[in-house]
Amino acid sequence: MNFKFTIRRNKYYLAGVFLSLVLFCSSFAFSQVKGRVSDQSGEGLAGVSVAIKGTSKGTQSDANGNYSLEATNGSVITYSFVGYEAKDVTYNGQKEINVTLGVDDNLLNEVVVVGYGSQLKKNVTGAVQTVGAKEIKDLPVSQIGQKLQGQLAGVQINQTTGKPGQGMNIRIRGQLSVSAGSDPLYVIDGFPITGNIGSMNPDEIEEITVLKDASSTSLYGSRAANGVVLITTKKGKTGSNVSFNVFTGIQQVPDRGLVKMLTAEEFAQFKKEYYTDAGQPVPAEFQNPSQYANQNNDWYGALLRKAPLQSYNLSLSNNTGKSRTSVVAGVFNQQGVVINNEYKRYSLRINNEYDVSNKVKIGFNVAPQYVFDNTPRTDGDRGTGILFNALHTWPVMPIYDSNGDLTLFNRFPASTGNIFAYPNWVRAANELVNETTTTNLISNAYIQYQPIKGLTLKSTFNVEMLRSKFFFFNPSTATSAINVAIPTTAVSIRQNVESLAWLNENLATYTRSFNDHNFELLAGFSNQKFTEESTRIQADTYSDDRLPTVQGAININRGGTNTGVQEWALTSVLSRLTYNYKGKYLFTAAVRRDGSSRFGSDNRWGTFPSFSAGWVISDESFLKDIQKISFAKLRASYGVIGNNNIGNYTSYALVNNTVNAVFGNTVAPGAIVSSLANTNLGWETTKQFDIGLDLGMYNDRITFVYDYYTKNTTNLLYSVQIAQESGFSNFNDNIGEIKFWGHEFALNTKNTTGRFKWSTNANISFNRNKVIALADGIDRVYGLFHITKVGYPFGQFYGHIAQGVYLNEADLNSSPQVPGRSTVGSIKLTDQNGDGIITNGGNEDDRVIMGNPFPTFTYGITNSFSFGKWDASIIGSGSQGNQLLVRHLYSTANLDGVFNMVEGVKYRFRSVDNPGLGMYGTTVGGGNVTGIERDWMNSRFVADASFFTIKNVTVGYTIPKISKVFKSARVYTSIQQLYVFTKYWGGPNPETSAQRDGNGDGGNLSPGVDLSNYPVPRTFTIGANLNF
Amino acid sequence: MKKLIITAAFVVFGLISCKEGFLTVVPETNLSSATFFKKEADFQQAVNAAYVPLRNIVNDRAWLLGEMHSDNTYYSRNILFGATEQQEDIADFAVPTANGVTSNTHVLNQYRLDYQIIARANQILTLIDDVDFAADSKNNLKGQASFLRAFAYFELVRYFGKVPLHLEPVTVRQEAALPLASVDEVYAQIIQDATFAASNLLPKSKQEAGRATSGAAKTLLANVYVVQKKWAEAETLLKDVVNSGEYALMPDYNDAFSTTTGNKNNKESVFEVQFQEGSAGYNGSLIYNFLPRPMSPEELKPISGTSNPQPLTGEGNNTPTPDVIAAYESGDLRKDASVGYVTLSGSLRSNKVYPYIKKFAKTHSLHGNTGNNWPVYRYSEVLLFLAEAQMEQSKLGEAAASLNQVRSRAGLANTTASSQADLRNQIYQDRRSELAFENKRWFDLVRTGKAIETITAYGARIKANPLDYYYPEGALPRSNAFSNITELYALPADEGALSPNF
Repeated sequence: MNFKFTIRRNKYYLAGVFLSLVLFCSSFAFSQVKGRVSDQSGEGLAGVSVAIKGTSKGTQSDANGNYSLEATNGSVITYSFVGYEAKDVTYNGQKEINVTLGVDDNLLNEVVVVGYGSQLKKNVTGAVQTVGAKEIKDLPVSQIGQKLQGQLAGVQINQTTGKPGQGMNIRIRGQLSVSAGSDPLYVIDGFPITGNIGSMNPDEIEEITVLKDASSTSLYGSRAANGVVLITTKKGKTGSNVSFNVFTGIQQVPDRGLVKMLTAEEFAQFKKEYYTDAGQPVPAEFQNPSQYANQNNDWYGALLRKAPLQSYNLSLSNNTGKSRTSVVAGVFNQQGVVINNEYKRYSLRINNEYDVSNKVKIGFNVAPQYVFDNTPRTDGDRGTGILFNALHTWPVMPIYDSNGDLTLFNRFPASTGNIFAYPNWVRAANELVNETTTTNLISNAYIQYQPIKGLTLKSTFNVEMLRSKFFFFNPSTATSAINVAIPTTAVSIRQNVESLAWLNENLATYTRSFNDHNFELLAGFSNQKFTEESTRIQADTYSDDRLPTVQGAININRGGTNTGVQEWALTSVLSRLTYNYKGKYLFTAAVRRDGSSRFGSDNRWGTFPSFSAGWVISDESFLKDIQKISFAKLRASYGVIGNNNIGNYTSYALVNNTVNAVFGNTVAPGAIVSSLANTNLGWETTKQFDIGLDLGMYNDRITFVYDYYTKNTTNLLYSVQIAQESGFSNFNDNIGEIKFWGHEFALNTKNTTGRFKWSTNANISFNRNKVIALADGIDRVYGLFHITKVGYPFGQFYGHIAQGVYLNEADLNSSPQVPGRSTVGSIKLTDQNGDGIITNGGNEDDRVIMGNPFPTFTYGITNSFSFGKWDASIIGSGSQGNQLLVRHLYSTANLDGVFNMVEGVKYRFRSVDNPGLGMYGTTVGGGNVTGIERDWMNSRFVADASFFTIKNVTVGYTIPKISKVFKSARVYTSIQQLYVFTKYWGGPNPETSAQRDGNGDGGNLSPGVDLSNYPVPRTFTIGANLNF
Repeated sequence: MKKLIITAAFVVFGLISCKEGFLTVVPETNLSSATFFKKEADFQQAVNAAYVPLRNIVNDRAWLLGEMHSDNTYYSRNILFGATEQQEDIADFAVPTANGVTSNTHVLNQYRLDYQIIARANQILTLIDDVDFAADSKNNLKGQASFLRAFAYFELVRYFGKVPLHLEPVTVRQEAALPLASVDEVYAQIIQDATFAASNLLPKSKQEAGRATSGAAKTLLANVYVVQKKWAEAETLLKDVVNSGEYALMPDYNDAFSTTTGNKNNKESVFEVQFQEGSAGYNGSLIYNFLPRPMSPEELKPISGTSNPQPLTGEGNNTPTPDVIAAYESGDLRKDASVGYVTLSGSLRSNKVYPYIKKFAKTHSLHGNTGNNWPVYRYSEVLLFLAEAQMEQSKLGEAAASLNQVRSRAGLANTTASSQADLRNQIYQDRRSELAFENKRWFDLVRTGKAIETITAYGARIKANPLDYYYPEGALPRSNAFSNITELYALPADEGALSPNF
């Protein structure tokens, strides 16, 4: 009992104290028993835990379900296996004990994966929710995030773009930040990964657990505030199983929701009226609009196509008792519904576990993956988004020339008001190369050792490697930007990124029970390091588009050519004590201490504690007799967690040594201090309180979970704007406070049992936030079309309230005006500050909060049916009360006719006698007049984006044992993204939101902007699951 | 015991990887300020970078605030194009002003650019004496930093009057905003810095071409004194410059201005902002900012000389007014050198001929990418300042002699003015012709007290005859035009929001 090791730092004392507490030995006399464990059909069950109750003695059944074990008379042998009801048998000297385990359909005996371990679901005191792979297996999609839509209470998952493999925006309990990242932490088999899960093969996944409250996440410390998603990959199960899953389908963009633009004839008519109304001669091109009646050019439609997708997964699951293996090999191939878009994924995962002895276990997981992605530059604004640009292109401009070839670009004479050259977007999609190939590898290795009863030591080493190669080539014949004439300067960009993250984690778990007191104590420490190196080369001006090499370029673009290194390191100690009395009174305390290289040198370490308690009321005598209530648990938790997504070097003052000067003909190197240091910079802190109720009724045919949470995020990473008379624009500080709160309800019901089975899972969540404080002296921050203001929810749409147009001279004269700009027929805005005029800009102008990008509630509902060999499911998810800012109106409602316009401008104001519908004003007066309604953000841009989407409908048929080889087979057909019920008119996808960094469109301060992203297709598939 | 060993090994394994310094991860692709400002080369780089904002100032801002904000140039209205009110407000003396601040973005950017120079100079001047290196080099670097700081404050004080006076680098958030200093305090600092620069900088012949020189510092200081009407002090400095032998007028007025690649920092140049044509980012695009629009590639090509001209859309700015064109005396060679004409087929006006600024329109090779330098001080202005300083001290003969050097180069006869008042007017007149479109006009109007009166009359002319000022038929000046004629710009509102002091 007196081993020594050096305590290097105070922070390890917990581990040391803990370990010295738990080491002792004991011994008894034993005799041998053997037997077989089988399921109800008589098949041997492999991997069943066979243990002597109250001791550390135990073994596992082998591939055929056989086991042998030493036992003493009178001891109780417990047979337990996930998904089956455990069985206790008392040993009275039998030579052989054979047991049959029944399937456990009591949900509350489920074991739930939690952070750094697993727990009986009935003992969990935090807010966690689990989705099994089975529940979402048929969805013909490439990403986990898509599969989880509508499944989780309190988790808003939006598909912001239809780009294959991209764009799932996952927010747990509405968490957000002014400038730090808000994505949850993803933990795969205990390894917090540094990338995201967008490219992970969903077939590798066994189960997903979402940790929502602070007590369940606090062991992830400074990375926990955005919530944690635990992904458990498939392990070898009983016996040997080979299965092959395949589906193939066709995707198509539904017509519903596509923006209605002017046709060529309508556009020419608009232009004709524009010049007529201004009293100017009509250009020849527009004198006869009907000439375009059969010459409409649907630029947007020309970029879309029907496209196939296929998925193949071959899996092996093998359990020999001593070793367990699971292998999943997958091929996924999706052509995009935008022309020339292709996404391919080849993936493999091998999970192995081996029992070296009954005390030592080792495991290896290896998961390599290769992803190829060529996506035209679909998403973005005028610079890069060809879908956005296609909406804007004059429909009188031909896609094909008279020879049937794609035009290079179109420009009408300046006299027609054509300011911008419109390149051919079909060429842009076809000819621009925008390829990313990513190879990555996630691997885990561990050794687990049980020196004495109840104590488990586990050491893991995890590695995540990523290598991505990006190649972009813009030939001279095409471009994705408006206002570039062809031929243009050919540009190539090559970017290679290599990263390596490793994590070593060492955990000790000690479990002990006496007199109905059950303890589990966990302690551990870990080190993680991430390094990324990147090289980017940008070259331009090619003599020949066929040779886009670097050396083929005449010019290397210095500004676009660089190398980069990003690194961070994290050292942590953690501990958790779980205690329950009779499984009825539950208590958990956990703490993690994180030291991070990202934090300022005077603020390196953060401590993140949490406490939670639960009370299984249904075990109390006063509820035991109420038959209707089969289970009831009250739980509450409080904890402190952090968000360390603050950038790797934000605390440093950096010197930028590329600010060069010219003297005569000489370039002289120049350097400036480009940012201010903050040695106290730290994590964002979230203090979260949660109270919840778990209820099971009618023998758990109805289960219900309710949670209320409230959390305050303080020390927000905030690049505080400072007066630029200082020479700096910002100071990175931890400042401000946002309060979040919400209610979550989840209801699972088995509506019918028997031959026709029908069950329903439904959930609904109400998430709210409010800004409590920003920087001292600052009560608001402006985003692009947004305001984040103290006392209001975050990122609100901000602008003028439109009241139609000035209908006539009297209306104009009696209403507040924009000085020097308002005319009869121009947009009429509301004088909010009562100064009699309309002004735009500054804090005291006439803008107000005019919309909210956050929903009142989000919800999901899944119905599953089975009847004999038939099964069916229907999954829906929805959002109510949120709005989107229709970004393209900024230009598609530009009444100067610079771009093509939305259909609604046909009903604009033209004269006092023909005032239109009041949405769009007069074209007369040019930018001085029309600029008001275009450039000044107003309520016309904001649209209700509530929706309910039938995400998936599947019907399947199971063919029972066909032959000795085929154990079973199931065929199914499914429709993904069947229909979107919505009043949203700004585009096809009410879930969209521009995805950008910083404070541009879709940045943290500018949420809910519809930037005409890639539409989400409807997918029809057929598939089969074959088991061998 | 075996168990203990394994357990201990397990614990130790984890500890090994936790070395000292594991958590210290410094940026590898950037220098940090902790390691910079340690040697001479660091300060050389810092000084070089302090010049950089000048490129932005003269390319994008100064001509708006200093030239189009006068009776010399106006915009050529294109009613098909919107989002032009920021520039128009400046040309129309309608900069929206409330509570002493304005939302105009050009005003904001000019202000910020000047403070960039100041902040960079402050870093240098505060830290340079802590590092030991050769005095010659150090004095030259300090002189340049002082010159640049004086230059920036001189711009600020003339645009805004009272401004914050930063002389030390800011290190924490709370120090970012300072109270407004009085105009006298700002001028005292400018004089101190310019005086230091004048005595520590090298003369032009010894300084690397394009950097600030003792002649440039003296001219700047003289300019300050001219504004302050300290004529004798100005005269002394200007005579120093004249007698230094470092400068001369170029025989041909056209040659006073650099081309895109040559004739830079010529004999007449006292200080100019340096540009370099090419894709490296040191280029300007001056003439593109100054051309009337819409202009087709065919119309542009003779002016730019580029092989890949693109159409110029939007609204043209800085178009010479009929007033400035009429101000040239007959026979003045500077008129044709300064003003050219172009016919725009896409114009909505029936008269499709527009004047444009020709003196900077030098042919170049890349569309939108020019390399000609911008003249800040030319020797001809030294002579004109000298003439003015002498005239104001009633040294009329000497004044006429100084002035006539400039007139003679312009192909004009000696001045016939005989009274001080006549000579004053003649000098003002020649300043306008000689320095047209060099961002001198607005400052001259203000310092001579003629701004309000001149602009009021000019505004009335535009409103009465919009066709003469490049409006298309039927288009009228905006109703707010010439509604806010003041000698100073209001401070920028965005900065006011970040400062408790204004």
